[in-house]
Amino acid sequence: MAPRWTDARTGRLLGALVCAVLLTTASMLLFVLVQGWPSFAHNGLHWFGSGGSVDVQIRNIFLSGETGTHPVYTFHAWPLVWSTILITGGAVVISLVISLFVSAFIVEFAPEPIRAVLRPVIRLLAAVPSVIYGLIGVLVVVPFIGNHLISQSARASKAGIISLSGYSLLAAAVILTVMISPLMVAVFSDGMRTVPSGWVEGSLGLGVNRWRTFWKIVVRTARPAIVAGTVLAAARAIGEAVMLAMVSGSVGFSPNPGDGWLFFVEPSRPLAPTIIKNSEELSSPPMHATLFAIASVLLLSSALFSLVGWAAKQPMKKYGVRA
Amino acid sequence: MKFRLILGAALALALAVPTAASATTLIASGSVAAQPVLQALFNGYHKAHPGITFVYTANGGNAGVKDVQSGRSQFAGQARPPLPSDAGTTYVKGYLDGLCVLVNKQNSLHSLTISQLGDIYAGRLTDWKTFPGAHLTGTIDPYGRDANGGTYNFFSQAVLQGNPPGGNVNALSSDGLIANAVKQDKYGIGYDGLAYTRLLRPIKVAGIPCDHANVASERYPLSRYIYYVLPTGKADPQVTKFIDWARTSRAAGGIINNSGGVAVFNKKPPKHHKKRSTRR
Repeated sequence: MAPRWTDARTGRLLGALVCAVLLTTASMLLFVLVQGWPSFAHNGLHWFGSGGSVDVQIRNIFLSGETGTHPVYTFHAWPLVWSTILITGGAVVISLVISLFVSAFIVEFAPEPIRAVLRPVIRLLAAVPSVIYGLIGVLVVVPFIGNHLISQSARASKAGIISLSGYSLLAAAVILTVMISPLMVAVFSDGMRTVPSGWVEGSLGLGVNRWRTFWKIVVRTARPAIVAGTVLAAARAIGEAVMLAMVSGSVGFSPNPGDGWLFFVEPSRPLAPTIIKNSEELSSPPMHATLFAIASVLLLSSALFSLVGWAAKQPMKKYGVRA
Repeated sequence: MKFRLILGAALALALAVPTAASATTLIASGSVAAQPVLQALFNGYHKAHPGITFVYTANGGNAGVKDVQSGRSQFAGQARPPLPSDAGTTYVKGYLDGLCVLVNKQNSLHSLTISQLGDIYAGRLTDWKTFPGAHLTGTIDPYGRDANGGTYNFFSQAVLQGNPPGGNVNALSSDGLIANAVKQDKYGIGYDGLAYTRLLRPIKVAGIPCDHANVASERYPLSRYIYYVLPTGKADPQVTKFIDWARTSRAAGGIINNSGGVAVFNKKPPKHHKKRSTRR
């Protein structure tokens, strides 16, 4: 009897499964875009612009669907987009720096016993559910910022406009950094370990010290892994919702860099938490479209990250290790 | 072919089981604020009538009413009075719930009027020094619920004349987070259901303390009814029976009072009920 699982049959079956994955992704993207389309169609590019209070707009959108008069779609998402850029961007930049140094230590300098402990710990940290970070943020980080870093005069200067109570850009970016750095460290150090040892030994043999060898040989060679880790971390950061809903302050306010250092402790609300916070209002058709429009912006940005990461890796492939 | 038959049979079975059981499963949805009390009532009713089970989805009062209109739910819990958009549904008053106003332990304020509360939550009164009773100087940090939920709507209607709160209000996603935030912030003020007042000291509103007795008599200004919403003329007899039990029986009254609500229509429990007077 011929074997049931011939190579050809296995190949076709697995191919079909992969096609199903691609099909699911494509149909999900299409579904979200179609559902959100009315919001984009009514606002055009002003969707991404500023103007008016975004919270008042959300309320009007919701009420127009509930009370049954003609629907309102006016929505200018700039405060939410700006908050997303600041929090995600800030966290990715800070963790990129931290993760490079931590990976350098793990790969090049750490004694074997410490390395043996660090690796599993970092993998564990990368897998902690975000709501736990949210709770730590609400119970520890936010009260610390509110009670110790913000002076009474600073609070008074913003009185009646926003509350400087600790729910802030700073809290959000710091906790997000803690969340995504382990992911970056894990990918970076894996990539750095695959650098051929002959290259490193060659450099050391020429009398170059380890620090310089690390930056000039290991980091350069592992660039594709660094790009991949950063893209992965950025994608996780931009989609993070639960933790940010808990600590970002949840106000549709654009933090203003002109406020000096107060800028860092101003509250805001990124895109993803906006979906969570208003999910109950899906019953209102224009609100439904608006929330799906937000979702499609998030989906497309993640897709864009992957694309940019892929494009950035192309020229490095020639010399670097694969990741 | 044989495989397909088996699959079909399995599917039919999987679909048939819930249908067979639905004769005694009552499906409901709606208010998040009412969920703790409703869930306790469901458990109590299930103990007395083991044949009947409940499925409650806390998707918000407004969504719950939509579910009743479309027939997806047999009844809904709702924390606001009926609106014109609720056509085809009947609202039945269930029990009372009170929103208490909470401040930090270091704040000695003991009373606020509704209009002062409105000024705080609209961002017009921003410093505790406006209230000499607080013995505190510093910018007020108001905490409130985010737009998800009947509590937010009730507060907007009762205190802010239907307007949204000011930009200085920190919007948190649950009653517990508000209690936590006020506990940790000397300058904080927040609002929460009656069940949360064991954690923090509630202040008087318009001179009336937020407690069980004052909510029951509706003297306390921030009291509200939790409603059961039924499809007009099409209510399932089992649902009607449950709602009658929940509204009138002494047992249900005890359950409501112990799970954070205030029973209004239920037969009074016997006098030795000590728990009620100590609840604050």
